[in-house]
Amino acid sequence: MADAITADTAPARASARPAGSGDLRLRLRQNAGLLGAVALFVLFYGLYNLYHPRGFSTQVLIQNANEILTLSLLAMAQTVPVLLGGLDLSVGAVMTLVNCLASHLVAGSPAQIALGIAACLGAGAAFGFVNGCIVVYGRIQPIIATLASGAIAMGLALFLRPKPGGKIDADLSWAMTNALSDFAETYGLFEDGKAAWFQPVAWIPVPLLVLSAFALLVWVPFRRTLTGRTIYAIGSAEGAAYMSGLPIARAKLAAFTLAGFFAGAGGLFLAIQTSTGNADIPQASTYTLNSIAAVVIGGTSLLGGTGGAIASVVGALVLRAISFNFRIFDVPPLLQPLVEGLVLLAAVSLGALRALRAKNRLELFR
Amino acid sequence: MKNTPRLIGLALAGFLSTTALALAAPKVVSGPGAEPGCFKPWSGETKHMQWAKKPGPYRIAIVNGFVGNTWRIQMIQTAKAYAEQAGMKEKIKELKVVSTGTDVAAQLGAMEDFINQGYDAIITIAVAPDGFDRVIRLADRNNVVVVPFDNVLDTDKVMQVNEDQLEIGRLSARHILKELGSKREGKVLEVRGLPGNSVDRDRHLGFREVMGKEAAKMQIVEIVGNWDDGTAQKATADALAVHGKFEAVFTQGGSTGTVRAMMDAKHPFVPMAGEAENGYRKLIAKHANDGLKGLSYGQSPGLVAISMKAALSALEGNAMPQLISVPIPVVDYTTLKAGENFWPDLTDNFFAANAFPACGVNISAPEIMGKDAKNTQ
Repeated sequence: MADAITADTAPARASARPAGSGDLRLRLRQNAGLLGAVALFVLFYGLYNLYHPRGFSTQVLIQNANEILTLSLLAMAQTVPVLLGGLDLSVGAVMTLVNCLASHLVAGSPAQIALGIAACLGAGAAFGFVNGCIVVYGRIQPIIATLASGAIAMGLALFLRPKPGGKIDADLSWAMTNALSDFAETYGLFEDGKAAWFQPVAWIPVPLLVLSAFALLVWVPFRRTLTGRTIYAIGSAEGAAYMSGLPIARAKLAAFTLAGFFAGAGGLFLAIQTSTGNADIPQASTYTLNSIAAVVIGGTSLLGGTGGAIASVVGALVLRAISFNFRIFDVPPLLQPLVEGLVLLAAVSLGALRALRAKNRLELFR
Repeated sequence: MKNTPRLIGLALAGFLSTTALALAAPKVVSGPGAEPGCFKPWSGETKHMQWAKKPGPYRIAIVNGFVGNTWRIQMIQTAKAYAEQAGMKEKIKELKVVSTGTDVAAQLGAMEDFINQGYDAIITIAVAPDGFDRVIRLADRNNVVVVPFDNVLDTDKVMQVNEDQLEIGRLSARHILKELGSKREGKVLEVRGLPGNSVDRDRHLGFREVMGKEAAKMQIVEIVGNWDDGTAQKATADALAVHGKFEAVFTQGGSTGTVRAMMDAKHPFVPMAGEAENGYRKLIAKHANDGLKGLSYGQSPGLVAISMKAALSALEGNAMPQLISVPIPVVDYTTLKAGENFWPDLTDNFFAANAFPACGVNISAPEIMGKDAKNTQ
């Protein structure tokens, strides 16, 4: 079962056994899937930047940061139920619902905007909580429960925005989708972003900071709580977790609530980025499927119990970085989906390489 | 992204000097613009825009959204074929085509990428009618001409190319009413397109506007066919099972599927309005005498060629209408001619309307099909 523990669960173990060099090697081996994904990302993103006429520039980084944020948040959302051993088919729909809600709420005075943002995040979390209740108290398989609730979310989204429209505060849109210097300039902070001490960080795209904040201030602390560790335990062996007296119901509720929260955050950013709400059904399904793909590329097992949200973010980055290259290299347009599919297949196969090293065939069943 | 910051830091010093580009936006000028026969202003109020003249040849990018139906594939092939035609070939240095899927973030990212790569024009089918403010702002700053077509944007800040979708809905309704004679009762089937899409919305509104005014008593049954033969066929079959009989049918696309569902259900042929799929036109030609009095309008994949032509014209410094109305290519059961506006020997799946005489653009479907058969790579 050692194989089931990855970097994300390591802190829990670290307290029991201090890290040594042998431990490091073990950890590298356990994270082969994630390391493969990181390597792929460095490869594809490096190639893209090398051949881009403005490669390695702030402009390109900002543009890419905007493009990856929503999908990364959705990948994080999808990770939590997957760690339980389930799937959340409603993440794309919840994203769309919050996107439409934001197009009504995030405008007006600063206080109204702040309240609107809070309401949007709250709505996402609330929807996730309802998903959790259906799974825990209704005892319905997550994949079916969220298929149904996803349709409900889409219905609500269409009700809120029968046709695309609405308006998000223009300053907020501009500030959130650019570098920190633009953010400071828009809101008149740090001498309009010209303060000398501010310059070393002024180039950082705001979406990257948002992503880091969600990863480091929400996911990492959550993972270290008892509830967070219980999610991993349930994914590994629910029966054993139950017999150990772990709070199963609470962990499941928390997992789906967190998924809803991340998906809502994704929808909120999509609204800020496009400054409108749009109940786009094909787009919702695209995001749901891509979020699952990102989770798998990041090395999280669909069987549950191993992996983590940060790994899924890397998965989302790989997914995006592959298609970045189509803008640089001459791939015939009708072959692009084929090429993307082949690369993805290769990427997820990396995670399966461990099967070749298994000493005992029984290990493969885990 | 962990490995890039330091490199970016290095690149930043040199880069800062180039970011301070003057804010250049197209000027609003008075008409008429270049080639008014081809680039027809949408209405009397349509303003004209003029970009700073750039020296050619130009780099053009096409950012498609959804890919995976025949129309989009034919559109991409048309774009490539048109770029190879004499007269265009020497003006275009590079043509890049990407499809981003129905994902607005990816489409915005791709457009911004091409702006950053220094392309001169970006032609796009928008996946949403709204939300492109940021990209338009950046394009204006960098003097890039953005041309949305087919699914256009709800903005007057960019040059756009389309056929009047409201008018398509209206003329479909008028055709149906004309063929129904004095009958103004019973049920009419409306097969809609992709939900949430501006083309779907406008065709529907135009259709309902005329029907509501002139045949308020007719009950309109609305189903969703996604502009796809399979989906439309299934949805039509379901509707026939539930409602029994329709007096007329308006289908936005997947028209061949709609007709086939009616034939399978042994539903009598009725007056109909639909898209320009070759298969649908073949069926009209065959069954017009049995009552399939069809109208076939075309939202042509050839619009991409008009958009490319318009983008080049704008880059050459000509004044252009902000919203260009391309004449709707339309035929009915009386004007169908084999080998001219439909092809009995070719497959059902391509779109038969591709000639725009006013623009000097004619990429006939068999040309594209033939070309395709030779280079399947």
